[in-house]
Amino acid sequence: MASGNKKKSDDEKSKTNGMLLEETFTQLELLIENLENQDVSLEEAFELYKNGIGLLKSCKEKIDEVEKKVLVLNEVGDLDEF
Amino acid sequence: MAGNIYSVGQINSYIKNMFEQDFMLKKISIRGEVSNCKYHSTGHIYFSLKDESGVINCVMFASDRKNISFHMEEGHKVIVTGKVSVYTRDGSYQLYAGKITLDGLGQLYLKYEFLRNELEEMGMFSEEYKRPIPRFASKIGIVTASTGAAVRDIIQISKRRNPYVQLVLYPALVQGEGAKESIVRGIQKLDSLNLDVIIVGRGGGSIEDLWAFNEEIVARAIFNCNTPVISAVGHETDTTIADWVADFRAPTPSAAAEIAVFEYDKAAEALNLAKLQLDGLINKFITENKNMYSQYMLRLKYISPMQNYENQKKRYEELLKKTNRCIKQKINSDKNRLSVMAEKLELLSPVKKISSGFSYVTYNDAALVSVKQVNENDNIRIRVSDGEINALVVSKNEIKRENI
Repeated sequence: MASGNKKKSDDEKSKTNGMLLEETFTQLELLIENLENQDVSLEEAFELYKNGIGLLKSCKEKIDEVEKKVLVLNEVGDLDEF
Repeated sequence: MAGNIYSVGQINSYIKNMFEQDFMLKKISIRGEVSNCKYHSTGHIYFSLKDESGVINCVMFASDRKNISFHMEEGHKVIVTGKVSVYTRDGSYQLYAGKITLDGLGQLYLKYEFLRNELEEMGMFSEEYKRPIPRFASKIGIVTASTGAAVRDIIQISKRRNPYVQLVLYPALVQGEGAKESIVRGIQKLDSLNLDVIIVGRGGGSIEDLWAFNEEIVARAIFNCNTPVISAVGHETDTTIADWVADFRAPTPSAAAEIAVFEYDKAAEALNLAKLQLDGLINKFITENKNMYSQYMLRLKYISPMQNYENQKKRYEELLKKTNRCIKQKINSDKNRLSVMAEKLELLSPVKKISSGFSYVTYNDAALVSVKQVNENDNIRIRVSDGEINALVVSKNEIKRENI
């Protein structure tokens, strides 16, 4: 009876940066695991490496390094600095 | 009336009547501690209420049992509502309980247990509804009071671990009137902001202070929240309904921040490590393939027709050298033999003999070796070392020579 209330939204566009970062990290870990596998051909290895560097780059981009102020919701529902 | 004599029954009935007519005793609530509690087979409950100053006997009839929602035990602090009346057979007064509730903390604890069981039966605590807490949250909501230790601890720990994470605070009332509604609004509002995770909690306090987190509407708001929720209520030992229903229960607000906020340094380190791993692995692949290439090259060279040709050529050259050497040797040895023979021949040469005074004489081109071959006036030829002499035989004279 309770399950009906629980919604799980997996829409691409509703994904937050944090979720994307998590996914990218997971993909990167998987990729390295694949590359560690000796059965991979040289062509595949180069392809994996190329993708790996791409994932690294996108991870770095997602951890944006701008220091954040704590925001606080006011009565009207707008965000102010805390 | 003096002088009248009454029966026991009469006097007890009279007293009972007095009790029954008393407005206050008709409906009265009494606080006390339960003792001598007996659940009788007839369904009636017999017990006493006591406090520091005294005791009163009580009974709750089976027909009123619907008005007690818990199993009464020795030492329970309860509030009993009912009437005080007289049991005429024993001549004693007692409290006829119409309703029994737990007093104070006991009451709260009971409510907690009741709601916990109810929600658990609905499956609201079950593992299948627990969403994982993201490892790399970039936006984190906080529902708690804007003043107090909880929010301060969370901000401090968050700044230390990762100053690049965005915290969004919903300043909620966390205790007293309106607290539960405020917490629910906070959860719903933050849920709509598309955050990675929401921390719901407050610092430590009494069970009454924490009570808002035991309210059903708060539990439902947490359950229905699409964003993963970390509960962080009070101290480690305080467990609220919110803790049961949350996706993750942190023992304290500080612990919640440790869980929600990933360490920037560690993530950066992990990325560096991943880069090193990638480079190392691809280099390994390249080196391995290079080695394999040179190995194959070597093998290929070994089995190639060119190599075969080279081998044959070498062999040919060696044989040629050998042959030449043999021939040269043969020539040399023949030369030697020749010169030896030439020397021998030289010694035997007639020319030599001639030069030392001998001469070669022919007649009609035949060597003249006997006087019988010529007659007088025959023309003979005499060869000497530097020429020929034509001569006429003047005379001849045969000489007999003895053989020596």
